Amino acid sequence: MPVGGMFGSDLLEYNPDFYSIMKSPFNGEEVVCVRSLQPDWAIVHVQEADIYGNARILGSKFQDILLSRAAKKTIITTEKIVDTEVMRKDPGLTAIPHFLVAAVVEAPGGAKPGICFNGSFAPEDNKADDAGMKAYLKAVKEDTVQEYLAKVTEGRV
Amino acid sequence: MLKKLMSMAEAVDLVKDNQLLALGGNALHRTPAAFAHHLGKANRKGLKICGAAPGYASDVLCAAGSVDTIYFGFFGFENEYGLAAGMRKGCQSGKIRAVEGS
Repeated sequence: MPVGGMFGSDLLEYNPDFYSIMKSPFNGEEVVCVRSLQPDWAIVHVQEADIYGNARILGSKFQDILLSRAAKKTIITTEKIVDTEVMRKDPGLTAIPHFLVAAVVEAPGGAKPGICFNGSFAPEDNKADDAGMKAYLKAVKEDTVQEYLAKVTEGRV
Repeated sequence: MLKKLMSMAEAVDLVKDNQLLALGGNALHRTPAAFAHHLGKANRKGLKICGAAPGYASDVLCAAGSVDTIYFGFFGFENEYGLAAGMRKGCQSGKIRAVEGS
């Protein structure tokens, strides 16, 4: 797919599998083309979704809207399930619509030990779980990741 | 509209070996960690990860040995937690191919 810019970047030279310069069929100007990736799944954790997959994201959306459009299908995990009436009252807040979604899983705390914005800007509400992160980093270092995953999925970390 | 509510185990079963995944969020913010914890236990092989700034959830899949290729701009946790440890270990051991595009 064509993209604006990129001229002057070393990436064009270093990664010819991904970048190529072509001539525009309209005016003959040079255009950088980038190989596109189509994910089989976008997997997105949100604050609110209904049982059909309509999903709202509170705070920064990062690239998540683009990921859901690029992927073949999206899997949503959500802090809480809300009634579809909530979505209908303000459809403009729906970041990911139901027809892009194949699965909705209710997973409160589903971003832990990372952060999930809950509307509060207080510093203590926007910190990672330090003990959880240290347990993960220790498991990676000591090659005990499967033991860590067994514990964390049973709520023992 | 179709009802799509299901258990974590049912959703994890949708992901097959060798598929390309794009996990949402950024670094330590709103990544699908619980999903990654369950998928990491499921012994998938050959998964590929793409994203602008993959973080914790993507790193869990790398650390679990499920990933063979990553396409990314920045892959890390930021602040005191540094680079993504599982990704780094996988790349250093040659098990993961890194395609960096920032």
